[in-house]
Amino acid sequence: MLTGDRRKKRLDRSIKVRTEGLYAVSSWGEMVYLIAPRFVLIVGLFTLPLVLDMYWQRVLCSAGIYALLALGFDFLAEFVGLVCLGGAFFVGVGGYISGLLNAYYGWPPLLSIPVASVAGAVISTLILLPCLRLRGIYFAIVSFMFPLFAVYIIVALGVFGSTEGISALATFPNIWIEQYLILVAVILSLFGIRRLVSEDIGVIFQGIKDNDQAVKASGINITAYRTKAVFITALIGCFGGAYLSHLYGWLGLSLFAMDFSIMPIAAAVMGGMGSLVGPVLGAFILTPLSEALRGFGQLRVVLYSLILIGFIVYKPEGLMNYLQRKYHQFELWEKV
Amino acid sequence: MSMLEVSSLMVFYENALAINNVDLRCQKGEITGVFGANSAGKSTLMYTISGIILDIEKKERMRGGERVTVLGSIYYEGADIIFMETSDRAKKGIILCPERRRIFPESSVLENLKIGGILATRAQAKKTLDYVFTMFSPLKGLKKREGGFLSGGEQQMLAIGRALMAQPKLLLLDEPLLGLSPMMEEILVRAIEDINETTGITILISEQYARPILPIIHHGYVLENGVSVLEGTSQELMDNPDVKSAYFGI
Repeated sequence: MLTGDRRKKRLDRSIKVRTEGLYAVSSWGEMVYLIAPRFVLIVGLFTLPLVLDMYWQRVLCSAGIYALLALGFDFLAEFVGLVCLGGAFFVGVGGYISGLLNAYYGWPPLLSIPVASVAGAVISTLILLPCLRLRGIYFAIVSFMFPLFAVYIIVALGVFGSTEGISALATFPNIWIEQYLILVAVILSLFGIRRLVSEDIGVIFQGIKDNDQAVKASGINITAYRTKAVFITALIGCFGGAYLSHLYGWLGLSLFAMDFSIMPIAAAVMGGMGSLVGPVLGAFILTPLSEALRGFGQLRVVLYSLILIGFIVYKPEGLMNYLQRKYHQFELWEKV
Repeated sequence: MSMLEVSSLMVFYENALAINNVDLRCQKGEITGVFGANSAGKSTLMYTISGIILDIEKKERMRGGERVTVLGSIYYEGADIIFMETSDRAKKGIILCPERRRIFPESSVLENLKIGGILATRAQAKKTLDYVFTMFSPLKGLKKREGGFLSGGEQQMLAIGRALMAQPKLLLLDEPLLGLSPMMEEILVRAIEDINETTGITILISEQYARPILPIIHHGYVLENGVSVLEGTSQELMDNPDVKSAYFGI
């Protein structure tokens, strides 16, 4: 900012200075300061199902899936340095495994969803393993290809219901379980990953992003760590997929739809890359928005793109980074 | 009249003061030196004079990073250029030869020089190219070599050559001796002196390692934590006891 002879001074609030990572709280005011944002997020998300009508409750469920994917994308891109455009692949693999276990072996969702999450994550990680040595744009391209790849294999071999898909899978007993299951999953993954990136392993991930050669030179096998990071992301993504196939009681090629790769990126950009909570909020804003714009027909995509371009051009830091800064710092004019 | 006049310049990186009330003049046709330890604010000064600080400021603002504030004025040939774009400053003849060379690693030596010469007319480019190859004769045999495969000294020669191709009136050299052997230092110092004498280009040179540069400058400044603590001619600086102990170990 360039001004005359005054400049705006920005200072961290004293509590922020003292408590970055270590909570030394000395008054109720500070306690509220720390807890309030987390409280608003959790309570806000959990009260949403109570105030929404039937239609929007469904939208909330799919927003939750996008939130999980956006969270995974942000984690991989900003904390491990892998730009993964394969969100649709995770959803597809998780959804197919869970759906097939239910359709062929009659496993209940209670069992098939966890099994599909873990098995799907293992399979996705193994398939992505040869590409983990790739960096930057190359990994993005390869991971973007896999969902397309899977669609053509399923169609060509005519397996798993081929183009028709398989319908009449077991669904959840009622709408409340549907909603709270995904909301709890979102909150758990959000706070889990938040915790993970500040642990030792998170420091290594960050190092791999910043300078992988230096990490290698420190005697750390970066491929092993990247594998772990991809597994975590795939786990979250596959859970989303498994949940989705039981949400609609149907599995089909649209589980591999491009939407699942692209929407999370849009949500992450809007919410603020690198803040973890930003992409989640972005998903909870963008998904309902795209539903609300459904009335505009094809114009909806245009409006939607305009919002995105606006954010990229005018506010590339995203919503959450901006809000966090405003929350943690105060500003004053200072004469120089 | 002095060619460049920096007056009461202040640069903040967020709340840290990188340059504090610095006044500096470059006389036309002279070599001016800016000396100081690491973190003294030399590079920031170079960025501010060449305008790159405006890019840094914009980039940081967009990404919500630290705020860069620039206050004060920079007069170049009588006009205040403090808010002028880097490219416009380059067109007016302020050319920066950046720290750590920043040559284009995948372009050949000749291509690097030609990229530098985009602002020049065909005749000027040809003349300068000949001049660069006579002055830095090692580059002559490496015309087709990719920039990234040159040694540190050759890269520095190339960086200075590329800056010269842009037809500077005021050449800003940021740490030209960074990481070079004593022999290479001597070659470069002689080249810098030669550029000034034969082409009459005004040079502003910032260097942390002052010993080889001090004898060739006409006027010099010593920065310390962003404050200009000392100024004088080459001889005055060399006779100063503080400079002596800091740079000559006497």
